[in-house]
Amino acid sequence: MIELPEERFPGRDAKVTVRHLAKSFGDNVVLEDIDMTVLEGTVTAMIGPSGAGKSTVLRCLNLLERPDSGTIDISGHRIDAESRFTNRQLYALRREAGMVFQHFNLFPHMSVMRNVTLPQQRILGRSKAEAEQKSHELLTRMGLGDKGSQYPNRCSGGQQQRIAIARALALEPTVMLFDEPTSSLDPEVGVEVLEVMHELANEGMTMIVVTHEMGFARTVSDDLVVMADGRIIEQGEPKRIMEDPSHPRTQDFLRAVLQR
Amino acid sequence: MTFFTDAVQFLPALLGGLRVSLALTGLSLLFGLPLATLLSFGTRSANKPVRWVSIAFVEVGRGAPALVMLQFMYFGLPTAGLTLSALASATLALTWTTAAYCAEYLRGGLSAVPRGEVEGSMALGMTRWDTLRYIVIPQGWRIALPSLMGFAVILFQMTSLAYTVAVPELMSQAYTNATMSFKYMTLFVLAGSIYASISIPATWLSVLVEKRLARHL
Amino acid sequence: MLQAVLSGIPLTLGVTFVALVIGTAVSMPLLAGTLSKHRIPWLISRGVIDLLRGVPIVVWLFIFYYGVTIGPTKLSPFGAAVLGLGLVSGAYLAEIFRGAVSSVAAGQYEAGRALGFTNVDLWRAVIAPQAWRVAIPGYTTYGIGLLKDSSIASTIGVAEMVFASGNYARTSGEGITVFMVAAAVYILVSVPVGLLSRMADERLSRTVAQ
Repeated sequence: MIELPEERFPGRDAKVTVRHLAKSFGDNVVLEDIDMTVLEGTVTAMIGPSGAGKSTVLRCLNLLERPDSGTIDISGHRIDAESRFTNRQLYALRREAGMVFQHFNLFPHMSVMRNVTLPQQRILGRSKAEAEQKSHELLTRMGLGDKGSQYPNRCSGGQQQRIAIARALALEPTVMLFDEPTSSLDPEVGVEVLEVMHELANEGMTMIVVTHEMGFARTVSDDLVVMADGRIIEQGEPKRIMEDPSHPRTQDFLRAVLQR
Repeated sequence: MTFFTDAVQFLPALLGGLRVSLALTGLSLLFGLPLATLLSFGTRSANKPVRWVSIAFVEVGRGAPALVMLQFMYFGLPTAGLTLSALASATLALTWTTAAYCAEYLRGGLSAVPRGEVEGSMALGMTRWDTLRYIVIPQGWRIALPSLMGFAVILFQMTSLAYTVAVPELMSQAYTNATMSFKYMTLFVLAGSIYASISIPATWLSVLVEKRLARHL
Repeated sequence: MLQAVLSGIPLTLGVTFVALVIGTAVSMPLLAGTLSKHRIPWLISRGVIDLLRGVPIVVWLFIFYYGVTIGPTKLSPFGAAVLGLGLVSGAYLAEIFRGAVSSVAAGQYEAGRALGFTNVDLWRAVIAPQAWRVAIPGYTTYGIGLLKDSSIASTIGVAEMVFASGNYARTSGEGITVFMVAAAVYILVSVPVGLLSRMADERLSRTVAQ
């Protein structure tokens, strides 16, 4: 069953709109006609068995993966995969969306401070002093105020992921994309990251989170998207879907995950 | 004890040769490394003529022995009407070899930068050029640095072949003095020790650098 | 002219092959030494490897050719060349093999021991086959490098390809083409290997480029 968020939260503006998104790698169809809307100030969690295409949707949103067809609109920056677009349009779209990766993808040859500062200088044109002040502010908020001069691989996984979140937030995106942010972390460390994400959600950040953390999906997200075989098979109120899934694939998936 | 008295006698000439060897090494690196940087991009260029010319240049430089390069530049070019001094032709030959080998090390370094970091940069909205400049090139150089240092040692040893084209470097000094004094063993052992006393510590240094850099990557 | 250059090929191949055989044989004790847990063999092997690699090949050839006398006879050019190239190769190959051996995961030793293999069996049945597979590319590349280095034997009068080319250039005055032909023969051997490694690499870099 698909309950669209527009119906559940009338009066909210759409922040991310995806229409007819499709992507294949060779003969392998990864995404098939995906329609998705994310409303301002809401958290959308995406779950489903591995290989379902959740991460690919996220990577198509900021064009890390070029879709074969479909349109993407983030905060009014619109790109149609089938027509030409300029680099300027591409960078403008990416600036709206901050992305957090499963493996953090920090720059290992730069200090933590420079990891957070350099993008602000290059992308927003901030002065070094201005950018460093912002970085310090964000790192402190993440509980990492003293880590600025360290190198990323001297930090724990949980710390690295929070640095990556700070790096993305420093560019003041209007949407945050999380691609399995806790999957490569130990459970007790993942909690630190989930807490930061929860806080962000409470502050009204619009978020899309691909995750295997059912607790987070259930309690923090406003909208739950279940994917299988490159399609959205179920969408709606998280608690409703978790307690009473209507699609047999959702039932199988939830049974498998929750039994663990 | 004659070895040592002989050594004292020959050492000044050999050290004079060493200066030429080091100069030849330095010149080849000075011209070869910038060329290598261009070639490392050229061999991956989307432009077909650029790519194939670069690949051909690299494959010739790596495929032909340094000795053949030297002989070609010194004995070959004059028959086509281009006569260079001994040092110039040796520099030309070893620059080509340096550029070809180092281009491959740099290419390897650049393509060893993890894809995730490139994506991290792209996802932030960094331009392709900024991603190259701040993420890919600094790390590519870092990854390639130990190999480049290792090559510099090999290059220093290669300069010994320049004696065949009359460059008055270390090996040439040893050979000349040996044929005059008939003290072959003394002079070649002495020359070998001088080469070793530079090559071996330089190799250790490159291993040290490799270990240090590995800590950040 | 082509004939003049090609007349050197048998000795080029001969020097390369014999030196490679000597090198492989020499590399084994050196390898054992660098893998040893005892300090003395380790130090000796390291010292020998560093020394062999620290001195240019041409110097080794001159030392063996001009310097070494066995009774009244000295080594033939060919003998000095394969001995010098072989010893240096032994040092480089020992390093290639050491890298390959240390790439075999520690778990393999543990699993082998847990199964009750003796040390010898562990090496023969578990470690060596895996290490060898890792070492093959490096070994091949080194072999091609050695083919090029065999040209240095010309300096002590081994009539291999470069020696033959030089002779021809001097007598005919036709230097430019003869060295180009000689270079082409070496390149013909090394290019296929170079292109193969580039193709393997391209798959990686294509994903990085976008």
